[in-house]
Amino acid sequence: MIDVNIEINGAPTDLTVGDAATLLDVLRDECGLTGSKEGCVEGECGACTVLIDGSPVDSCLYAAAACDGRAVVTIEGLSTGPLSELQDAMVEAGGVQCGFCTPGVIVVLTALLERHPHPTPEQIRVALAGNICRCTGYAQIVESVVELTTGARA
Amino acid sequence: MTVAPIADASEPQTAMRRADGPAKVRGRAQYSADYAEVGMLHGAVLRSPVPAGRITRLDVGAAESAEGVVAVCTAADQPATRAGWVLQDQTTLAIDEVRYEGEPIAVVVAATRAQAITARDEIVLEIEEFEPLDLQRSAQDGARVIHPDWADYVPSMGEYPREGNLAAIMTSEPDGVDEAFAAAARIVESTYTADRQYQAYLEPKAATVSHDDGKFVVHTAVQYPFNVRDRVAQLMGVRLTDVRVIGETIGGGFGAKLDAAVEPLAALAAKVTGRTVSIRNSRQEDLLTCPCRENAVVTMRTALDENGAMIARDVVVDMDNGAYSGEMPWLASLPLHIASATYRVEGPTRVIARLWYTNTAPTGAFRGVGGAYLYSALEQHTDAIANELGEDRRAFRVDRLIDDGTPSLSGQVLEDAGILRVAFDELEQVAPWDELLADVGPNQGIGLAAGVWMTNPMPGQATVRVNEDGTVQVITAATENGSGAVALGITRIVAEELGVDPADVSVTMPDTAVSGYDAGSQGSRTTHVVGRAALDAARDAKAQLLEAAAELLEAGPGDLVVANGVISVAGTPTVSVPVAEAAAAALWSTGPISASGSYATPPIPYNDACGVGVMFTAMATPTYHVHLAVVEVDPVSGRVDVVRYIVIQEVGKTIDEVGLRGQIQGAVTQGIGYALTENLRIGDDCRYLERSLEAYRLPLAVDTPTVEYRLLEHPDEAGPFGAKGAAEPPLVFVAGAISNAVAHALGRPINHLPITPEAVMDVLDGSA
Repeated sequence: MIDVNIEINGAPTDLTVGDAATLLDVLRDECGLTGSKEGCVEGECGACTVLIDGSPVDSCLYAAAACDGRAVVTIEGLSTGPLSELQDAMVEAGGVQCGFCTPGVIVVLTALLERHPHPTPEQIRVALAGNICRCTGYAQIVESVVELTTGARA
Repeated sequence: MTVAPIADASEPQTAMRRADGPAKVRGRAQYSADYAEVGMLHGAVLRSPVPAGRITRLDVGAAESAEGVVAVCTAADQPATRAGWVLQDQTTLAIDEVRYEGEPIAVVVAATRAQAITARDEIVLEIEEFEPLDLQRSAQDGARVIHPDWADYVPSMGEYPREGNLAAIMTSEPDGVDEAFAAAARIVESTYTADRQYQAYLEPKAATVSHDDGKFVVHTAVQYPFNVRDRVAQLMGVRLTDVRVIGETIGGGFGAKLDAAVEPLAALAAKVTGRTVSIRNSRQEDLLTCPCRENAVVTMRTALDENGAMIARDVVVDMDNGAYSGEMPWLASLPLHIASATYRVEGPTRVIARLWYTNTAPTGAFRGVGGAYLYSALEQHTDAIANELGEDRRAFRVDRLIDDGTPSLSGQVLEDAGILRVAFDELEQVAPWDELLADVGPNQGIGLAAGVWMTNPMPGQATVRVNEDGTVQVITAATENGSGAVALGITRIVAEELGVDPADVSVTMPDTAVSGYDAGSQGSRTTHVVGRAALDAARDAKAQLLEAAAELLEAGPGDLVVANGVISVAGTPTVSVPVAEAAAAALWSTGPISASGSYATPPIPYNDACGVGVMFTAMATPTYHVHLAVVEVDPVSGRVDVVRYIVIQEVGKTIDEVGLRGQIQGAVTQGIGYALTENLRIGDDCRYLERSLEAYRLPLAVDTPTVEYRLLEHPDEAGPFGAKGAAEPPLVFVAGAISNAVAHALGRPINHLPITPEAVMDVLDGSA
């Protein structure tokens, strides 16, 4: 077991974690943050994506012990007030169906918009290449970002 | 037959957002794996590592004494009973013999999931292996019988033809087929094969079950809670209502969450331990044991006369049932409805469909079920005939389209089949065929597919309450599988009828102890069937509401209208009362406002002499579809890109276009995966070759085109506001359209799904 201090959604948090414990398991089982989802535990589906120091990471493959002294933001950390413009756009444009991939998608797109406030559809699709959505076929997710960033929404 | 947008003042038009959207984008929606109870234990399932054999040793002693372990459940702990949706050929845990890789053998229950998994690896299991039987080997004369006791198995819904390894057989053999072939000017024959397709919903299956005083409470995210209730009850040997299934948010299902999976395992563990037990699949367990769309072999022969008329057809379909039966025997007669669909065959069609037990995971429903490969076979065969005759592929089809009133092979009269012609005309407006052919680029090809699909007719129920604060509660076991059928459809239908804001309508999660029977989210039925039940209930509740308001307003109920949450006298909007006030007043006059509606599609007349073993008798509430694909083949890698995809879909009535579009885009994307990348191969050893999401290639955002679509509205009398099923059919025609487009690009067809880059390269380098 290893003692770590991780800033989780802005709150410094002392935790004792197993040597091989994944960040996802610690978030879900120790911290009660179940918004990050377990879809595959092989880094394929992206449903577990969180931000570590601002960069999207598959938390199912990332050791919690490696997060000592770092800042982790989960979907809960992006959902503290009213819906963000991105969240609002995703609902409005039909970017959400079963919703299991949605937390990871929101996390990835939030990071994308930090770096590229006006991404092209191609940039959005490339950013989402690590997130499998089995329901939507992606078009309405991509359009929600385009409509948000080009002001095409009413 | 008319197809035109209806101009009805009562049609849904209020803008709305899906009711479950905010919780889902915040990560607050509670899925099956998120549900937890204080003191809950965790189960890990020991599954067969081999596809066939006899268990010669099962020693759980070491596992029982491992850290944290509370119990190890084996077959000795389960009731002596068998269960199944269509045929009762299953047990919770394998008894003596295993029949597929992944079949459950024991459940280790421990304080934590990690402890349970660690202890599971301490179990000593020895199996004397049999030669595993795949589809080809199972069907051979003299093959080992996978279920020696098959004759004793009890059918759940009436007996049907089956024998030995033949899990079901359907035959339709009209007179004159052989004579027509003997007289034919030419015969076109092709054989098509399809691999399995994994539903690959993002949430692996999970369930949490408690057991107290002989009754089970099951928390799980499934498409058909009442079916899961029935299966757990059968397997645990209790009455149906001794099992209560409470629904959690569904992380995708696409047909694979219609029947029980981990629920009976957790139920047995809960019964043995007296504690609440949670079991969830790893992704690999999920993939290995999922009831995938079945692999199949389809042979189609068509006899042509000297004028090119199709004078007879002969179709044989062999389907893989897997080791146990699930829903498949019922689906085994689907080929009858597709063998000669869409295009006129002016003579008899013979159809033989055989479903075989094999030593592979049981197969089941995936959106569009067998229709996905059957229509692909029909459409590739149609291209083959047109090419044989030297006719243009579109003209060949349009010349032979079935028309209004055409009977199907089961004798169902397709009253509105002429919509197919309207759909072809609409496609011609969107993408004129001759222009497409003229503009086709290097390595590009164009393909068509068209046909009829169904709206599942099974029963549903809804109760509508108008609360004293003016909000509306809908109680139903209809499940929101992500499609929006509940979060947009039912919500909107009820809001529209009651004249309230959709944001003021909430729908309960399913609970089999609370809601009336519901047949689950399958076959696009929820909007049509439960929407109709909910509309009937809302109408009744509205009548009660207006009666209460009439007293307050001193007017006749017939003179009142309700809109935007306010009831007023028609033509005198100043004389009004809010819905909330009328509902509150009703509490003390007529009693709380509440009404229920029930609906099932009435049985459809068909010819019961059409065949033997026809369990699936008609395409209920049919809709009509035309698809077109333009693909481009990369001659270096063999990769196929879909560069343009067009759907013309008849929908009855659009309830919410944002939601409907999502179903079309999502279904076509799954169809593209089926046609091109989603390879789930069964090896010679009856084990899957693809065993993870890394190997099983799902469509990604970078692979997927934005689908063009046109909706044809042709309201159905029975449907709410005229709506019919819409979510399933956009998958059904995709593999056909893409296969034909690839064949056009390559100059010769590939008769196997999926069309992988390897298969394309084999054609390009001449080795195929």
